[in-house]
Amino acid sequence: MTRITRDTIAYLVVIGFCILMLTWAIPEYTPPYPGYGASAALVPIVAVCLMLFMACLSLLYLTLASLMKKPIAAEEREFPEDLQGDGGFTQVGRVRLYHLASIMIPSVLLIVAIEYIGYELSSLAFLIILQFLIGNRSWVQSILVAVILTAVLYVVMRYGFGVPIPGAQIFE
Amino acid sequence: MEMILAGLMDSIAPASLMYLFLGVAIGVIVGAIPGINGPMAIALFIPITYYMTPLTAIGFLVGLNKGAFFGGAVSAVLLRTPGTPEAAATSWDGYPLTQQGKGEKALRMALYSSVAGDFISTVVLILIAAPLAAVALFMGPAEIFALISLALTVIAGIGTNSISRGLVAAGFGILLGLIGTEPVTALPRLTFDIYQLGGGLSLIPVAIGLLAFSEIIIQLEKITGKASGQCSTHVFSSKREDRLLSLKEFFGNTRTLLRGSLIGIGVGAMPGLGAPVASFMSYDQAMKRSKKKEEFGKGSLEGIGASESANSSVVASSLIPLFVLGIPGNLAAAMLMGAFMIHGMQPGPLLFKENAQLMYGIYGSLLLASLFLMVIGRFGMKLFCKAVNIPAMILYPIVIFTCIMGSYLGRSSMFDVGVMLAFGFVGYFMRKFDYSYVAFIIGFILAPEWERALQQVVIISQYDTYMFFQRPVAMILMALTIFVVVRTFWGSIQAGRKKRAAAAGQHSSD
Repeated sequence: MTRITRDTIAYLVVIGFCILMLTWAIPEYTPPYPGYGASAALVPIVAVCLMLFMACLSLLYLTLASLMKKPIAAEEREFPEDLQGDGGFTQVGRVRLYHLASIMIPSVLLIVAIEYIGYELSSLAFLIILQFLIGNRSWVQSILVAVILTAVLYVVMRYGFGVPIPGAQIFE
Repeated sequence: MEMILAGLMDSIAPASLMYLFLGVAIGVIVGAIPGINGPMAIALFIPITYYMTPLTAIGFLVGLNKGAFFGGAVSAVLLRTPGTPEAAATSWDGYPLTQQGKGEKALRMALYSSVAGDFISTVVLILIAAPLAAVALFMGPAEIFALISLALTVIAGIGTNSISRGLVAAGFGILLGLIGTEPVTALPRLTFDIYQLGGGLSLIPVAIGLLAFSEIIIQLEKITGKASGQCSTHVFSSKREDRLLSLKEFFGNTRTLLRGSLIGIGVGAMPGLGAPVASFMSYDQAMKRSKKKEEFGKGSLEGIGASESANSSVVASSLIPLFVLGIPGNLAAAMLMGAFMIHGMQPGPLLFKENAQLMYGIYGSLLLASLFLMVIGRFGMKLFCKAVNIPAMILYPIVIFTCIMGSYLGRSSMFDVGVMLAFGFVGYFMRKFDYSYVAFIIGFILAPEWERALQQVVIISQYDTYMFFQRPVAMILMALTIFVVVRTFWGSIQAGRKKRAAAAGQHSSD
């Protein structure tokens, strides 16, 4: 997939999102106009219209450039892997779904697991699995890091800030 | 006068001093680690500040940011891997010095230049913020609405190569910033019947997800399976002249440091430009005006001084638009604005009127932070090299887990952890697809204020859309907004044409 193809898909997703917001979410989940001031829907509509306008404009530009067969710059034609954007803020590049899933799935499972088996066990398991997934093959180091971090955050939350420990409590 | 003294006394209270010192120390260590920067550190540590007084909280976060700016120079000098984007110019001369065994000397120059730039900038902030805020008090809702519109368009260009994608991100930020209770009707808006959204999306999980979690996912992409964190073995030479920086060497660059500080102040005070611009601009000017141009890029102390004095002076000067107008000029200022709001204060001109003692306390903390930076930097230099060496495979799981628990800490809610993960996911795609998360965050923070100003304009003007024409300042600001959008679009069209011309030339030569 080239950069332009991917950008086109992204603009279409933005346009779809905006249409959904304008036709369903904003009318359905915005309070009715109270008869004074500006409507509660005004600023959300302005924000969505701004997004929609910009996405349509960009899509139009890409379509026209394609129809007129204008030459495309290398970084747009080919996939710009490892290209750094201005100021180091953007990291344009190929989406690595497997890598993303390897961090997101354990994180989501942690939230679910905390509710059932408690903070201590789920955090230990999460940290060990995460370290394994990102390439740490030293079990002793992994377990040590997991135990120390879980314990430190437990002490900080419970005794430092007096925050209730999330999920089921196994040491109560 | 009493207020000033009371504020300054607050800033030297033991708790304030301790948290400030801790903030600077953590900031330097965190900034030294490649991939972790000041705003990200602020996002990670904001949940902890819930449990502090407003002064200690703001002092801690400001210290964190100041420390991170110098910390960025540590990895730039030792590894040629800038810890923060603004330290890139420092690496051009810092790393060659490290290769010559003069790493300690380069770090000392970076430290003293940072402290000099930071101190000058803090003094300027103290001198001009309050008088400017007094003038800003005359601004009405129309001017505030126009000013926020201008800020959003200027900031839309940061962190992306496309203004249109920046504006899409800003619009998305505004939309999500409006979730929660609507101010006029006091009824829920865009909450999708999820009761946890009644109070709106909390800034903490949103910021942690976008700034820290998504960044770590991308950093991990780069390092997974690779060895990382090797520190040069020839950093510190045993020769005295290679290690220490003489007074002559430092004061020989006074003009460069002053110029760098002034550039940093100017750039920092203007919303949207940021520290990397100041750093590169100052380096460029120093090189053009130097008598030893040939040394630049090969280990020039003047080059390090130019870059570091400029980027560090941005820290305090970027607070000028925040304190005077309530507009965050960059990401770190946006995060600080969030911290103010968490503690029940709205940054802007009224802050000087309503919280004068606190403001003078913050000024005291800002000055003390410069002093602490000097002390911590001076005595902790060898420790920072060790921080640079922490293996990523240990560090990043720790940061990920801290992101998760940090999001929980704010409201003791697992829902917020879910929000953080969702924004980590969104942030990953925003970075990969070049949508500015900076514009998103600033839009998210400014949305309620923007809407409030618009509501006031509508109510005061009684639906008279010509109200703007009766307010010259508002009209000028709106005209500037349109000018910025048109100019940026025109610039990107021109840049696109140049790229295509270059591509066509390459195509024909093939």
